[in-house]
Amino acid sequence: MKIKKRWKVFFLINGKRRSLTIEPHWTLLEVLRDQLGLTGTKKGCDRAECGSCTVLLEREPVYSCQVLAVQARGQRITTIEGLTRNGKLHPVQQSFIDHDGVQCGFCTPGFVLTASAFLDRTRRPTPDQVKQALSGNICRCNAYVKIIESVLSASKRGKRIRD
Amino acid sequence: MHPFRYAEPESVAEACRFLKRQGTSAMPIAGGTDLLSEIKDGVAKPESVLNLKRLPSLAHIREQDGALRIGGMTTLSQLQVYPVLRRNFRIIEEALSTLATPQIRAVGTVAGNLCQRPRCLYYRHPLFLCAKKGGTTCFALDGDSRYHAILQNDLCPMVHPSDLAPAFIALEAQVLLAGPEEKRLLPLEEFFLLPGQNLSRETVLKPGEILVEVRVPKPKAGTRGTYLKFRERGAGDFALVSAACSGRVLRGTVAELRLVLGGVAPIPFRARQAEEMLMGQRPKKEFFAAAAQAVLAAATPLSGNRYKIEAARTLMVRAMQAVLK
Amino acid sequence: MREEVAEAALDLIQVEYEILPAFFDPMQAMKPDAFSIHPGGNIAGGKPIVLERGSVEEGFAQAERTFEGTYTTQVHCAAGMEPRVALAQWDGDFLTVWKSSRGIHMLDRPALARGLGIPAQQVRVICPAMGGGFGSKDETRMGTLTALLARKCGKPVRMEYTRQEEFVAGRTRHPSITHLKVGIGRNGEITAIHARTIMSKGAYMSSGSAVIRRCGQGALYLYQTPNAKFEGTLVYTNVPPAGSYRALGAPQGQFALEVHMDKIAEALGLNPLEFRRRHHVKPEGQPGRRLTPPGELVSDQPVEGGIPFSSNRLSECVRLGSRAMGWQRRWRPPNSSPGPKKRGLGMALGLYRGGLAQKAGAEVEARLDGSVEIRVGTIDVGEGAFTTLLQIGAEALEIEPARVTILGGDTATTPEAPVTSGSSTTFSMGTAVQQAAATLKERILDRVCAQLGADRENVKWNKGAIQMNRPTKKTVAWKQALALLSPEERRVRLAIQPGSTEFVINSFAAHFAEVEVDTETGKVAVVKYVAAHDSGRIVNPAAAQNQVEGGVMQMLGYALTEELLVDPKTGIPLNGNFLEHKVPVIVDLPPLKTIFVNAPDPAGPFGAKALGEPPSIPVAPAISNAIYNAIGIRFQDLPITPGKILDQLPLKGRG
Ligand SMILES: Cc1cc2nc3c(=O)[nH]c(=O)nc-3n(C[C@H](O)[C@H](O)[C@H](O)COP(=O)(O)OP(=O)(O)OC[C@H]3O[C@@H](n4cnc5c(N)ncnc54)[C@H](O)[C@@H]3O)c2cc1C
Ligand code: SF4
Repeated sequence: MKIKKRWKVFFLINGKRRSLTIEPHWTLLEVLRDQLGLTGTKKGCDRAECGSCTVLLEREPVYSCQVLAVQARGQRITTIEGLTRNGKLHPVQQSFIDHDGVQCGFCTPGFVLTASAFLDRTRRPTPDQVKQALSGNICRCNAYVKIIESVLSASKRGKRIRD
Repeated sequence: MHPFRYAEPESVAEACRFLKRQGTSAMPIAGGTDLLSEIKDGVAKPESVLNLKRLPSLAHIREQDGALRIGGMTTLSQLQVYPVLRRNFRIIEEALSTLATPQIRAVGTVAGNLCQRPRCLYYRHPLFLCAKKGGTTCFALDGDSRYHAILQNDLCPMVHPSDLAPAFIALEAQVLLAGPEEKRLLPLEEFFLLPGQNLSRETVLKPGEILVEVRVPKPKAGTRGTYLKFRERGAGDFALVSAACSGRVLRGTVAELRLVLGGVAPIPFRARQAEEMLMGQRPKKEFFAAAAQAVLAAATPLSGNRYKIEAARTLMVRAMQAVLK
Repeated sequence: MREEVAEAALDLIQVEYEILPAFFDPMQAMKPDAFSIHPGGNIAGGKPIVLERGSVEEGFAQAERTFEGTYTTQVHCAAGMEPRVALAQWDGDFLTVWKSSRGIHMLDRPALARGLGIPAQQVRVICPAMGGGFGSKDETRMGTLTALLARKCGKPVRMEYTRQEEFVAGRTRHPSITHLKVGIGRNGEITAIHARTIMSKGAYMSSGSAVIRRCGQGALYLYQTPNAKFEGTLVYTNVPPAGSYRALGAPQGQFALEVHMDKIAEALGLNPLEFRRRHHVKPEGQPGRRLTPPGELVSDQPVEGGIPFSSNRLSECVRLGSRAMGWQRRWRPPNSSPGPKKRGLGMALGLYRGGLAQKAGAEVEARLDGSVEIRVGTIDVGEGAFTTLLQIGAEALEIEPARVTILGGDTATTPEAPVTSGSSTTFSMGTAVQQAAATLKERILDRVCAQLGADRENVKWNKGAIQMNRPTKKTVAWKQALALLSPEERRVRLAIQPGSTEFVINSFAAHFAEVEVDTETGKVAVVKYVAAHDSGRIVNPAAAQNQVEGGVMQMLGYALTEELLVDPKTGIPLNGNFLEHKVPVIVDLPPLKTIFVNAPDPAGPFGAKALGEPPSIPVAPAISNAIYNAIGIRFQDLPITPGKILDQLPLKGRG
């Protein structure tokens, strides 16, 4: 059995293989922000309660603050930085801009990632499905009306997600 | 977060041996959605954590011998999309749809959900060394008790937080536990302990033992089930009170009934009195109300949670109405 | 250095405490013989603030009936998604601090200079962007601490609150106890309104006097009466310190007022809508005599009467909002539906200041490449102020917004600007930006005319290009025009004093809620919500809607689920987290309709008035009134949880 204080690991982050040495008590959020400089992922609560730290792990939204990085090694991770391709915004990002689905913007990366994964699975969502899918992301500015509009509108633009 | 060592076993047997050897200084980790909060809040201080999540033998779902077998490391979202759930295991599906949030369900596991620790505000707070944590007092008994138990609440009125547990128990689920020496299978209902039996832990798990599988027998034809959860917020909220109910009506009378409450006691609370009163009766609302009343007659509410009696009554009656028809 | 090393180091610090008596209840702390938390007693400032128009004593003497009631509100946390943070770096004697802020020029910079004993010119404060402020990130504490630590260790130092610290040591909305007495005369007129509020402050002062002042304004001004009085007492206690948070004390004061008025309407046999229509303050303002000398700026939180509003479309708000709710058609007397799920309608009004502010500066510069930069010393607390200011600048210059950029939140590169407070940014900063941009436009026009020998009447401004019709037809392109100006001329910096000498500048709102109460579980579902607002002309409709929708939703949490629970024995906050301080999530969103009267205010920039805070004011009373209408029970204590509702309902199983 492997018991180690330091782990040499790699992740497939936004389509690129990133290798590094980590300590086992580091969360995926800490590794993304502090080791890899991917600060688009936000720390809002550090307790799996708010959704600001959401990233996609194997295409599923998870709270990166409450996932041990070492447990996620070798897996595919998409952060907000990975949604933009060749300088072109992901349709969900564009839709949040067009529909003002943003106030202060701190929760936005989490919402956008959750929404993009959801739209990948659900073609013509109802407003209720959108709400359920986003129920693990808190927006304290409470821009929920415009967030729902943004997601519904993006669902009509076609979809694309990269990892 | 305070540092710990991290171990990854090759097999269940190796995991159990390791845990047995290390004693309380080692803890198993599944999804980590609960354990990491405990470590960050200084409630748990393991020297090493042992990852069970990469053990492929624990991540299955299959139907075998008329039962649904769910590996302990199955994530809640994997279980949620399992095809037969909607058809045969309605209670589980309903419980999952109200449980935590999509992100937690994507990572959290079935075993982790059943083994999660209490959410009592005092227990989770680093500044209160309460009786459950080895101190001498229960702060909830004469403190803020709005979220605490109304039944079996004399010593430590925490409530068991799991939504899956009442749902599974209403379906007569069993759990398979693996230890360093042997495995044992027991009804999930007997898996949980009251504070009077063990104040510091909530389950019968012995040192070195882990939960490896849940077995849910397929309900008999004609059985209906429902899970009702009463909470203050639409998502990401534990139950104030919940009711899981499974039952069957045959030729106009109740042939089978199991009613289990969450949020009212330190363990998932089986409302046996109600079940017994209704067996063989015609399913009528007056009987449901009387049965609920009989269960709640034993309630001993604290200063802040009297409202739970009425909420529990409502949920029991509504659950029975939905199921027994 | 890694965070966990700092954490471990902190654990090594041993603190010895002397245990002193503690108060978690302001009524206990106020007693004359109570132990003093600070020298001078537990009443902040030594005595309550007392404000009176006319004489309530006389008013009550004229009253045929009087109505009294007591209302209480909870500790409530702003909990912006980003916990507050500060980073300090010394460069010799020169200090730069990056921080969450509410005012870099007039708040942080002088406070840092004072705290560290250095001249303000040596302090630079930067607040580039912020993850939700809601007015609560208003202190310099963290900036000073990081600066001191950075000086000590000779390295930059960063400090960030954990989520729990943000809940507990950030600043909360003051809990309050309000006692109201209202006199009604023979003809149903309001002869007097007397409000007394006690607020628990925690152990530290932080914008408390502004909070309690704003708490009283509803009682003083929302309903027409010659006699009104407010007494506000701020009490030091040992609960988590309270400070400013969206609309400061107004939600507390107007919760009490609007539930109370609902009760009076019923006692008088009037529909709540009709009662409010008759008695709410009208455009001419309150009766009485102006006391502010002529020519002096009028307060936007006046006590005196005799001063008209610059605009007051409250009647329109009531009319449009009630129509959208279907009030006339659908309103039923309290507790009419059979149940177990009962529906009810409720409404509440709100008024809020928003015209007067500190001096506001703005700079607008056009560059030779055709771009325009607006520089403002304010910050964007997350509400989109920069977008709105940019739009105002572009509109004043009549050029494409895409050509304009905005720079803010840095004391080194922007002119002095006021603190973001009182919903005054659009009004004060907007006016400054508008005037600076308009001045620049005039300069350009003058210069081009001089160059071409044209008369001002014969040229047209077309998106920055200047078209001359006579003597010859000719167009000077935007960039060409700019090239005619010197660098100094292309930059306009000015400061204005916002406010009016003639009018009271206030914003207004009328909210309508429909709820469904499950009388067997106590659960309240908001099934429809209408918010009608008079905020003058709406400059940026999407952002304005977002403000209203967000304000309503945030305060639905205040009304129904959110409270920082404090252990009754130890005073320790128990639920400093998003899980248990139950902020609304997206599935809680009710169908929500926003209505803007959208009538320009003669005093505001492009007719705009304040909008950021007003939506948060009428929500809790509208919900409480709707619950009353549904089940016939009054809730005068926030939040209205299922537990409280079940405790009040006549229960089936109880003896
Ligand atoms: C914001 C939030 C909201 C939530 N809401 C709900 C809710 O509404 N309803 C609900 O039911 N739950 C809720 N939860 C709890 C959540 O469901 C649990 O955290 C999750 O199910 C735990 O699974 P895990 O795999 O992450 O467990 P872990 O966190 O890895 O482990 C939990 C505990 O179980 C032990 N353990 C893990 N696996 C085993 C095993 N195989 N054998 C023995 N012991 C084991 C661990 O040592 C640990 O003590 C919520 C949690 C959060 C953070
Ligand atoms: S209820 Fe139990 S867990 Fe909570 S304070 Fe009391 S002893 Fe501790």
